[in-house]
Amino acid sequence: MNDMRILERAVEQTDIKISARKVQVHYGEKHALKDVDVDILDKTVTAFIGPSGCGKSTFLRCLNRMNDTIDSCRVDGRIALDGEDIYDKRVDPVQLRARVGMVFQKPNPFPKSIYDNVAYGPRIHGLARNRAELDEIVEKSLRGAALWNEVKDRLSEPGTGLSGGQQQRLCIARAVATQPEVLLMDEPCSALDPIATSQVEDLIDHLREQFSVVIVTHSMQQAARVSQKTAFFHLGNLVEYADTDDIFTRPRDPRTESYISGRIG
Amino acid sequence: MTDATFPASAAAPQSKSSLLVVDERTRKRNAAEKRFRAYGLSAIAIALIALVVLMYSIFSDGIGAFRQTYLEIPVTLDAAQLDKNGNRNPEDIKKVLTTTYGKLLDQSLQAVMTQNGITIEGIAAKDVSDLISKEASAQLRNRVLANPDLVGQTIDARVLVNGRVDGYYKGRVSMESAARDSNTSPAQLQLADALKGKGMLSTEWNWSFLTNPDASDQRPEAAGVGVAILGSLYMMLVVLFLAVPIGVAASIYLEEFAPKNRLTDIIEVNISNLAAVPSIVFGILGLAAFINFAGLPQSAPIVGGLVLTLMTLPTIIIATRAALKAVPPSIRDAALGVGASKMQSVFHHVLPLAMPGILTGTIIGLAQALGETAPLLLIGMVAFVKNFPAAPMEGLFDPASALPVQVYNWTQRADPAFMERASGAIIVLLVFLLCMNLIAIFLRRKFERRW
Repeated sequence: MNDMRILERAVEQTDIKISARKVQVHYGEKHALKDVDVDILDKTVTAFIGPSGCGKSTFLRCLNRMNDTIDSCRVDGRIALDGEDIYDKRVDPVQLRARVGMVFQKPNPFPKSIYDNVAYGPRIHGLARNRAELDEIVEKSLRGAALWNEVKDRLSEPGTGLSGGQQQRLCIARAVATQPEVLLMDEPCSALDPIATSQVEDLIDHLREQFSVVIVTHSMQQAARVSQKTAFFHLGNLVEYADTDDIFTRPRDPRTESYISGRIG
Repeated sequence: MTDATFPASAAAPQSKSSLLVVDERTRKRNAAEKRFRAYGLSAIAIALIALVVLMYSIFSDGIGAFRQTYLEIPVTLDAAQLDKNGNRNPEDIKKVLTTTYGKLLDQSLQAVMTQNGITIEGIAAKDVSDLISKEASAQLRNRVLANPDLVGQTIDARVLVNGRVDGYYKGRVSMESAARDSNTSPAQLQLADALKGKGMLSTEWNWSFLTNPDASDQRPEAAGVGVAILGSLYMMLVVLFLAVPIGVAASIYLEEFAPKNRLTDIIEVNISNLAAVPSIVFGILGLAAFINFAGLPQSAPIVGGLVLTLMTLPTIIIATRAALKAVPPSIRDAALGVGASKMQSVFHHVLPLAMPGILTGTIIGLAQALGETAPLLLIGMVAFVKNFPAAPMEGLFDPASALPVQVYNWTQRADPAFMERASGAIIVLLVFLLCMNLIAIFLRRKFERRW
């Protein structure tokens, strides 16, 4: 019995969390993504790299159906979370987004207190039965986002009053508080200074222990530093998807090689 | 090539001018900037002067409406005239008309004159009796009907004097103008002065301007804005309870939920167009739809409120949509990103942030509705209404007036005393608008503090 469980866990460790097959995205007439096939592994950091407008953010937003808010956007193909098609008619995107959290490019804390920012998700999903439990979730999430020591004495102050890096970590804490299975990050460090960036990168490395992280980044160094798997997008195509080490040392596609060596992009 | 560039680079230091000397181009630019500032300042100055002139004219004309001249004399309520049967039966007392009370007042004034030895050269009997307002006899009658025990007693009565004498103490009427005026005479004014000398005539603060209903053409001194204030208030209640929820709900739906397609485009264009439709058109619509078709009563605040609701809705919708649009989309993304539903993201995050803008737009819409006259003329609110409407809800169906219509109404009347009343009503209207704006500012502050 015990052995079985260990075996199960071992399988889960390398389990495919999200599997995308033949994903096509159209914005009106524009064909933004063409035939993307990716398997995103559980408890792994996956980086999407590529030049601007290559479709990496678009694909990221497909994974929790944030593209639903754009009227002209059409998604075809199959994206499955734990084997269930997330574009199935019966799927409520709200439930999906509770399991697939997201952190955005620009820190966007709610104009509420630090506490309320983190507590918002657990509140609307009913994750806490009482105030004490909620306090616990908030503290755990803020600790998880390496922000607790900086803000523990001013939880009731506005989240918008924090510095840029703190705001972004607050947004990560907010996403972590809903206990997601996957965390999507859309260029989370592009608005941050190097010190805040390295804090967030350390954080991503920690978060990997709990769930899988998908990060879109413009910085190849960042992708190399934080991710285990890297996908290179170019002009709406997924050019190459492999272990990060392989992508940066032995790229198979000439386009990947030109991009990482700075010739295109 | 080297030869060609060398002289140029050598010449460069010579053409370089000192920073201490302002060159021609900079001087022109600075002059242009100064000119523009002067234009701006003069525009603001013109606006301020216009405002000051407007305020001065309104206040200098209208402040008089808040003061009123009263005559205080003892009046003997002669039982022989008021209660001929002598049994104090209220039904019998009710049969006595105001003319009898007028005569009583007249007699009392004559008596006061003889007692105090006031004699005015060349004063006609009409001048004496006309000194007291025609409204005074009606007020005295009401007082007696309310308390029949007063019959037979001598009471101290505080009665209105006529509009010309009142105007004399407010600087509107002079001895010269009185000589040319058929409604008064210098002798009457002298009598008033004599009574004032005895301390029986005084000009005091006039609460009754705010509480009295309108009065007929001959009695400007008794006219007040009571019914108009109540009518305006009722209409504002109707607008508040209809236009605000409908307008805000419509804007939230259009802005946050509605799909962007041809139909919503058409709706959007039409809302913008409706905001520009002349208000009198809404009056015609109200007349056709609410009075002729739905059969609602004329002159009623409910109809006025409905018409003003229609008129205000586009303003509120446009302002609310602008406020919602101004909320950064990142907040919506953030809410959706943690798994909030569309409605939760709107009601928890977008709406609170848009609140100051929505409130401002709403109150601007309400203020616009409060000052609107044209549509109300068409639905019969310009009628002469002397009875107060009942309390809501029935009161909404009773005839009433409205402040701007009352102003319009009074400016139409011949007696110059009504001009003073009209300006007074404008002051009341302005005070109402000021209060609404203060509420708007207060609410804005309150909501903005929540970061």
